[in-house]
Amino acid sequence: MSRTGTRTIKVDYLARVEGEGSLYLKIQGGRLRDVQLKIFEPPRMFEAFLRGRHFSEVPDIVARICGICPVAYQMSAVHAIEGALGIAVDPAVRLLRRLLYCGEWIESHALHVFFLHAPDFLGYQDALEMARDHRAVVERALALKKAGNQLVALLGGREIHPVAVAVGGFYKTPSRKEVRALRPALEQALEVALETVRFVSGFDFPPFEQDYEFVALSHPQEYPMNEGRIVSNRGLDVDAAEYEDHFAEHQVRHSHALHSVIRVRGSYMVGPLARINLNFDRLTPAARQAAAEAGFAPPCRNPFRSIVARALELVFACEEGLRLIESYEPPARPRLEVEPRAATGQAATEAPRGLLYHRYQIGADGLIRLAKIVPPTSQNQKRIEDDLWGLVPALLDRPEPEILWKCEQAVRNYDPCISCATHFLRLTVDRE
Amino acid sequence: MRLEAKELASLIETLRRDGYEVVGPTVRDGAIVYDAIEGLEDLPRGWTDEHAPGRYRLLRRPDNALFGYVVGPQSWKRFLLPPRVRLFSVRRNGDQPEIIADASAEPPPKYAFLGARACELAALAVQDRVLLGGPYADPIYRNRRQDVFVIAVQCTQAAPTCFCSSMGTGPKLSGGYDIALTEVVEGAESWFVAHAGTEAGAARLAALGAPEASPQDVARAEEAARRAESMITRRLNTAGLRERLAENFEHPQWDDVARRCLACANCTLVCPTCFCVTVEDTSDVTGSHAERWRLWDSCFTQSFSYIHGGPVRASIKARYRQWLTHKLSSWHDQFGTSGCVGCGRCITWCPAAIEITTEAEAVCGFPPSSLRSEQA
Amino acid sequence: MNFNARRKPKLAVFKFASCDGCQLTLLDAEDELLAVAEAVEIAYFPEASRAVIKGPYDIGLVEGSITTHHDAERIQQVRRQCRTLVTIGACATAGGIQALRNWQDSAEFVRHIYPSPDFIHTLKMSTPIAEHVPVDFELRGCPISKSQLLELISALLAGRKPNIPTYSVCLECKRRLNVCVAVAQGIPCLGPVTQAGCGAICPAYGRGCYGCFGPMETPNTESLRAQLHVLGQTSQEISRAFRSFNAWTWHFRHASDEEERA
Repeated sequence: MSRTGTRTIKVDYLARVEGEGSLYLKIQGGRLRDVQLKIFEPPRMFEAFLRGRHFSEVPDIVARICGICPVAYQMSAVHAIEGALGIAVDPAVRLLRRLLYCGEWIESHALHVFFLHAPDFLGYQDALEMARDHRAVVERALALKKAGNQLVALLGGREIHPVAVAVGGFYKTPSRKEVRALRPALEQALEVALETVRFVSGFDFPPFEQDYEFVALSHPQEYPMNEGRIVSNRGLDVDAAEYEDHFAEHQVRHSHALHSVIRVRGSYMVGPLARINLNFDRLTPAARQAAAEAGFAPPCRNPFRSIVARALELVFACEEGLRLIESYEPPARPRLEVEPRAATGQAATEAPRGLLYHRYQIGADGLIRLAKIVPPTSQNQKRIEDDLWGLVPALLDRPEPEILWKCEQAVRNYDPCISCATHFLRLTVDRE
Repeated sequence: MRLEAKELASLIETLRRDGYEVVGPTVRDGAIVYDAIEGLEDLPRGWTDEHAPGRYRLLRRPDNALFGYVVGPQSWKRFLLPPRVRLFSVRRNGDQPEIIADASAEPPPKYAFLGARACELAALAVQDRVLLGGPYADPIYRNRRQDVFVIAVQCTQAAPTCFCSSMGTGPKLSGGYDIALTEVVEGAESWFVAHAGTEAGAARLAALGAPEASPQDVARAEEAARRAESMITRRLNTAGLRERLAENFEHPQWDDVARRCLACANCTLVCPTCFCVTVEDTSDVTGSHAERWRLWDSCFTQSFSYIHGGPVRASIKARYRQWLTHKLSSWHDQFGTSGCVGCGRCITWCPAAIEITTEAEAVCGFPPSSLRSEQA
Repeated sequence: MNFNARRKPKLAVFKFASCDGCQLTLLDAEDELLAVAEAVEIAYFPEASRAVIKGPYDIGLVEGSITTHHDAERIQQVRRQCRTLVTIGACATAGGIQALRNWQDSAEFVRHIYPSPDFIHTLKMSTPIAEHVPVDFELRGCPISKSQLLELISALLAGRKPNIPTYSVCLECKRRLNVCVAVAQGIPCLGPVTQAGCGAICPAYGRGCYGCFGPMETPNTESLRAQLHVLGQTSQEISRAFRSFNAWTWHFRHASDEEERA
């Protein structure tokens, strides 16, 4: 299949990523000339049709942006709207929201580590193939994922697109007994999470490092989920209200997802690796211990080790979940009455995949005038392309399937919210 | 016999100790529902209910009555004819199917119903006739029904939705119970006039060692019971009702109500005499495990009247007509009584606020017999 | 297709414009997933596997609505490849929440979000799969119900009719012994006109049904709209209630349009 000049490596569909995307690499004269991560996930245009909806409808609607991390969208939304309308929820509600997020982190990270990423490292097409040789591992992984889902289902009403989350709190909160009933499952999940750290830290990681700007929330006391300032390892330290002063979105021809950059400096990374690098000392004890045993310490600049960061966050989420379960008391006011007024609010929370920013402008009638939503995956897009710029040149003389697989793996490091399947490389070689 | 509240508490405790699951009224989610009662503290003390077509509200009473309400959304059928029951499950054992669980063979819970009203006792009798009185008795209903210990409570008030007096089922209790209680509210605490309806009831009462009720006590109790009767404003003219309904299948009122009826099935699900169920078979992905489940169903669903090719009652009109005429007319042909006990739940819990009494009278051409101004 | 077949049926999962939640439902069946993977050959499931086994497929699960020219062509290919095509979720069965564009000028929508709208190629409308190809079965929901998905797969394998009811949510609500939020608290609820399947979660959590499973078998939306007014809702609010995840279904679209005109 060689032709003249240009070698084009196209991955038409990327498997085991959530959404629809493909990868285009152009190599000319033995050198990499272009990298394009194409997202052709058809745009559904939430920001447009949120206009004219009542603020109380927003949590239900934005959940539908993502079936894997609906809680994240609901959390960023309620925090932004409550900020705009001057609402401060009960401490028990704050605890429940954090516990709900623990459930989602567990479910999403377990899904990614075992279904979408680990098979790469072990040479399997998927987790189900992996189960033929490692059935117990996969079964325990499913139990771990299920524990996260059970938490979301109890607090939120159901695993996907929870119904209990409201502006002002929860439509209904569980009893102490109901919450504590989940303790055994979470204790077992913690065991599996610790095994997961051991399992993934033994993988073969390519010795690849980049000089990243990591961006995440940071909170004075806790590992960040719903609250904190937006910080980076290059001195950024701003409130969510200043996000748009420091981050800009660009549109590129080859993608439906907008590219996000830090003004002046360019691409950046959000997600577990960024979070853990910036908040390592806020990890819970077992997570820190597991990191030490795995030889993981900040700063970690190898994106292939993001799977270890994710596994450590699994430990954290289980530990934190258990702590919150212990201290939960049902709130006196599960849901506050919220009066509309003309206002604007912004918030950023940490979705499993990274920082998720929302801004809403609300009218005096309570209807949304403007919505702006920046998902973590769009924030990582440019960084993924930059990683490929760094990675591909050293792979150019490898066999095609290996280049293909390594590139896909490089994309999957970011657990991007796009999805697809693989097809086969087409290749032309330029001999100059 | 005159019981103080603590004696009622003691009665509950001994029933529990004797292996009964005591179930009765308790407040939850803005209504008085039926659930496990461990003691007097679970009862809806100081609560009452306000009823209107399509509207129910729980309100605080000025006193601490334990049974100062009318009827909630649930009836005793939730225990005797459970909403979801697995009839049996089967496993593939080589070539043979092997039954691994059979609900009709399981030991049923032993219930004590605390707080049954006259209309509800009438409904139990109706369901007994339907589910036990024919050639095929339902074993699950029978197993649960045969050991029920009934503590009835005399109504001392009525809601605008009640029409038990028209149906001859209340408000005065008249049998069907082991023990009957009439609550007299006095100051901060209530006391009760109790009498037995069966030997078992008499034995339990005797074991409490409470004093006989004085003539004044009995008079107070009877006065309280009369109050319920005087509060009833809704009536249904039952003279000729059965025949008139059967003769008016094409009455334009059916089209009128069909425009309002949501076919949501709520009326049949809250009705204490409705008994229709559906049976579903399901298997797992391996095909080696199957289960047969019985679920509450309703004649308001399309699939209810499905015969190969389509439902016999495709329209909402046909289904509403079926429900009403079955309940008030053809039930007589089937079971020898009316199917309706006048509890009014179908009126309260209908999201479209349709009133069975109004619709029935309109179809029959009867002048409205309820006192409209009394209705909320 | 049944258990006596000599080969395992091939299952494929296809995605159009959607959030992925309905596909994820299969992966969320943690207790049953390995059994499913043994009962069927998961031949094409990009969210979960790199492996591709070529079609044709016995069962195709289709998630998502049609919003681009490319997808309008792709669904035709998918239909040709699948012996039994099942649409899963409100996007596929009704056009999804993104069908809200159908009432608007979608060019304006694109301009609102994208600085260079010329790079975006999208159709004016978001439409359900059944408007493009014949569909063999619809699993409603936003998301679909995990137990209904397993029931459907089990039924297809056993060669029996799946137990997927089309009556109202109220049956599930009452079986679950929920107290009706509309009657007892005056909370607006679409349950009486919405198809069962979710298990009546919202009333169990103290809120009204918002219609995830779309219109039930004979929805009397005129009557429910009148009741929602009685409960104090404005025409605007009622219109919005019907104009959500199943907005583009005939019954809900009609209801929301009528209230908007009022």
